[in-house]
Amino acid sequence: MWQEKRADLAASFALRRRGLAKGWYKFSRNPLSVVGLVVLVVIVLATGLASYITPYPAHAGPYTNFKAAGQPPSWEHLFGTDRIGRDVFTRVIFGYRFSLLLGIVVLGLGVAPGVILGLIAGYHRGTWVETTIMRVTDVFLAVPPLVLALAITAMLTPSLLNEMFAIALLWWPWYCRLVFAVSSSMRNQFFIREAEFSGASEAHILFREMLPNCLAPILTKMTLDMGIVILLGASLSFVGLGAQPPTPCLGTMVADGAKRLPGEWWSTIFPALAIVLVILAFNLVGDGLRDVFAVEEV
Amino acid sequence: MALLEVKDLCVGYRIFEGHLRVLNRARLEVDSGERVGLVGETGCGKTTTVKSILRVLPTPPAEVASGEILYRGADILRMSHRGIRDLRRREMTAIFQDPLQSLNPMFTVGTQLRDILKDSMGGRGRGRLSRREIEARCIAALHETGMPDPERIMHNYPSQLSGGMRQRVCIAEALSREAQLLLADEPTTNLDVTIQDQILRKLDELVDEKGTSVLIITHSMGVVRDLTQRMYIMYAGTMVETGRTKDLLAAPRHPYTQGLMESVPRLTGVGISDGIPGRIPNYLDPPSGCRFHPRCVHVMPVCKETAPEFFSVGEGHVVACYLYRS
Amino acid sequence: MPESILSVENLTKCFPTKQGLVRAIDGISFVMAPGDTLGLVGESGSGKTTTAQCIVGMYPPTSGDILFKGETIGAAFNRRPKHVKGDLRIVFQDPGSSLNPKRTIKQILSVPLAVHRVGTSRDRLARMKALLEMVELPADEYLYKYPQAIGGGEKQMVALARALATNPSLVLLDEPTSALDVSVQAKIINLLIRLRRELNLTYLFITHDLSLMRNVASRVAIMYLGKLCEIAPTVEFFEHPVHPYTKMLLSSIPVVSDEEEALKPHKAISKGEIPSPVNIPPGCSFHSRCSERGDSCAELDPEMREIAPGHVVRCNHWCGPEGE
Repeated sequence: MWQEKRADLAASFALRRRGLAKGWYKFSRNPLSVVGLVVLVVIVLATGLASYITPYPAHAGPYTNFKAAGQPPSWEHLFGTDRIGRDVFTRVIFGYRFSLLLGIVVLGLGVAPGVILGLIAGYHRGTWVETTIMRVTDVFLAVPPLVLALAITAMLTPSLLNEMFAIALLWWPWYCRLVFAVSSSMRNQFFIREAEFSGASEAHILFREMLPNCLAPILTKMTLDMGIVILLGASLSFVGLGAQPPTPCLGTMVADGAKRLPGEWWSTIFPALAIVLVILAFNLVGDGLRDVFAVEEV
Repeated sequence: MALLEVKDLCVGYRIFEGHLRVLNRARLEVDSGERVGLVGETGCGKTTTVKSILRVLPTPPAEVASGEILYRGADILRMSHRGIRDLRRREMTAIFQDPLQSLNPMFTVGTQLRDILKDSMGGRGRGRLSRREIEARCIAALHETGMPDPERIMHNYPSQLSGGMRQRVCIAEALSREAQLLLADEPTTNLDVTIQDQILRKLDELVDEKGTSVLIITHSMGVVRDLTQRMYIMYAGTMVETGRTKDLLAAPRHPYTQGLMESVPRLTGVGISDGIPGRIPNYLDPPSGCRFHPRCVHVMPVCKETAPEFFSVGEGHVVACYLYRS
Repeated sequence: MPESILSVENLTKCFPTKQGLVRAIDGISFVMAPGDTLGLVGESGSGKTTTAQCIVGMYPPTSGDILFKGETIGAAFNRRPKHVKGDLRIVFQDPGSSLNPKRTIKQILSVPLAVHRVGTSRDRLARMKALLEMVELPADEYLYKYPQAIGGGEKQMVALARALATNPSLVLLDEPTSALDVSVQAKIINLLIRLRRELNLTYLFITHDLSLMRNVASRVAIMYLGKLCEIAPTVEFFEHPVHPYTKMLLSSIPVVSDEEEALKPHKAISKGEIPSPVNIPPGCSFHSRCSERGDSCAELDPEMREIAPGHVVRCNHWCGPEGE
C-alpha cells in the first residue's frame, strides 16, 4: 500500500518536473525573455535586500542633509542626490519595493474575484447569471480607469493602501472579461459536458476542469499587467495621490525632480528610467510566457 | 520525364524533446496527366510531404535534411522566392481538407475567385483578361463544379455556404487557373458520403477534361480507388508500396498494406481484423532498418539492419519489403 | 430485467433560432433491447447527434419520452438521479476535446469514481489501473500522462475507460472512431465488441459510416432531417434496402473491392444536399433528392410501416415486395 502511494507520488512529481523543463526550454528560445527575467530577478533580489545593499538605507526614511543636496551622479552617489540631499539610488531601490508591492497586492486583490466571476459567467453562458455579471463588468469598464482611481483616492485620504484599493477596484473587470471569453468558448467542449453528465459538482467543473485551461492567458496577462499597474501607481503618485512623503515612491520622485529640470536632471531621469526598466522586464517575461503557453505547431 | 519527382526526401523537426526524423527518403513521382494517390495514416508524413512540395513548411522547426523535389527537372527546394511564387501561380494548385480555412471569411466568393484569376491570368500586357471576361470565367468555373446558381453564389460569403458548396468553391478556385498539377490534401474528409460522392465524381470529370495531373493525399482507400490510376502507401515517412491502384488494392503485398486493408470495414460484412499491432513509431528514435519491423509479423533479422530497397512484384508494382527479395 | 433497456417514444427537439424554429428531431421512436447494438446513421444535420444529446440529457426534449429501464428520464441531466448518470454513459466523437488537456489520465479517470463513490478512495488507484488494463493500455505507463502525449486511438480508449468506470449498462457512442485511422479504428471496434460481450453492454452507436455498421451493429437505423427513414436488422438492411435515401447512401460509399462494388445499389446516384432544417420540404422531407419520387410525395408525409419483422420504413412509394 505505502509503496504504491510512494510510486504514485514519485510519478506525479516526475511529470511536473518534465513540464517545467519543457516550459523553460520554450521560454529560453527567446533571449529577450531571458534578459527580462534576469532583470526582474535582480530587481526583486535588490528590493528584498534593500537595507543591506543600498549605500544609505537611512535615506529611504525621513532624512535631510541640505549640505549634500542636488549633487550630480558620482561614485559616492551613483544617481546623484535630490533637493534635500537624499541618495537617489537608494531611494530608487526602495521605490521599487513599493512599486512591486503595489503590483502584487493590486493583482492579488483584483485577479481572484475577476477570475471567479469570469468562470461563473462563462459556465452559465446565455443565462441571467452571465448577463448580470457581465453587465456589471461593463459598467466598471466604461469608466476611464485613471479618472476612477483619481476619484477614489481623492475621496479617501491619499496613501499607498488606498491607492492599491482604488487600482484593484479597476482591475478585476479585465480579468472577468478575459476569463469569460476563454471559459465560455470552452463551455461546449466535450470534457466539460462529460464532467456534467457524470454528475460532477459545479465547483469541480469550475475550478478543476475550466480553471487550469484559463491559467495560461491569466498568467500572461498578469505579468504584462504588473508593468501597467506599476505605471498607473506611478501616475497616481505623480499627481500626489499615492504614497505620501517621505515614503520613497518612483512616481513621487519623478514628480519632485521634474520641478528642477533640466538642471538636476538625475533626480527625475533615474527614477523614470527605473520605471521603464521594470515595465520592460515584465513585458519581456510576459512575451516569454506567451511562448511557453503557445500551442505547438508540430 | 516525370512532372513532379520527389527524390529521397528527408525532413525533420527540431523540438524540445529532440530531433523528429519524419520523412525518411520519401520518393514520389507524378507523370504528366497522371493521377496519383498517396495513402497513409495520421502522422505518417503525408502532410509534411505536401507542405514540402508546396514549400510552405515552417522552418524552423522543420528542416529539410536532404533530397530533392523536382518539378519539370527544377528543384523546388532550391528555387528563388520568385520562382516558387510563379510556380504556385501558374503551375501548381492545391485543395485542402478544410475549405473554411482556405477561404477568407471576410470576402465574397466572387471577390476571391476574381483575385485568383487576375493574379494568375491577369498581369500586364497582352493576354490580359478584361473585367467582364474574368467575371464570365468565374461563373463558368463555379458552374463546372456543379454549383447551382453560380451568379448568386458569387455574392455569398463562405460562411453562408454548406461544407460541400465551400469545397466546390475551392475546387473552382483551384481549377480555374488551369494549372498543370493539382495537390489535393484530404479534399473530402470533412464531407458526408453523398456529398463526397458528388464532389469526387465532379473532380474526376473536370480533371479528365483539363488533363490536369493530380496528387491526392488521403487516408481513405475507397477515395483513391475511385480517383487514381496509381497509388503510394506511406508508412512512417517512407513509401512502402506503389503500383497501379487496382492491382495494389486487389493484392496488397507489403505487410503494412495488408494490415491496413484488413482493417477497412467492408460492405460485405466479413468482420474487422484486429488492426495492426503496436503503433506508429516515435520519430525521435525511429526503428533501425525497415521502420515497420517492430510491428511486422514476418520480421526477419535483415529487417532490423538495413532499410529494404524496392523489389518488383508485378508490372509497375514495387514493394519495399525483404519478403519479395528473390 | 425489463424487456427494453432504452425506449424512445415520439421524441421531438426544437431549437428556436433567428431564422425560425429548427426541428432537429421530429418525432422519432425506437426501442433497444439489452445487448443490442443499434447503429444510428445519418449525414451531418440529420439530428443523430442531437438524439444522443437528448438521451444523455444535454437538453430536455421538447416533447416525447425517453424511458431507460422502464423509467422516464426525459429531464435534463441536472434533474436526473445519480444512478442513471452512472448507468447511461457517453463516449464522444472527438477524443481531443473530450479529455481535459490540463489533467492527467489519472485525474481524468478519478472523476467518475469519486462522484459515484465507486470503492473506497484507497482502492481507486487499483480500480483505475484495472480500467486501463481493460481497454488494453499499460496502466503504469499511461496513468501519469497528459492527453496530448498520447495518440488519438489511445485517447479514445481512455475515454472509453472513463465511461466504463461506473459500470454502465448502456453506452452511447457518438462517432467514436470517425476521427481515427482505420487500423486504430479496427482496434477500438474489436475492443468495443469484446467489452460488450464481457460486460453485457448495450450500445447506441451513432455514426455516418455504413460499412462500419455492417460489421458492428445488430440493427441499423437511418435518420434524415430529424426523422427516421428506415430501421432494420443489419443483414436485412444491407441486403434489402428499401428507402431511396438508404440506397443513395449505400451507393455513395467508397469501397475497396469489386465484391463490395457489386453490393451497392447502382440506380441511386447521389444528388443535391441535405436541406436546411429551418426549411424542411413539405410532404416527405426527402422528396427533393429522391430518385423514385411519386406524385404524392411533395404533399403527403409518409408513416412508419413495418414491412417485414423488425424492418420499418417511412416511404410513400413502397408498395410491397412485388413493387420492387
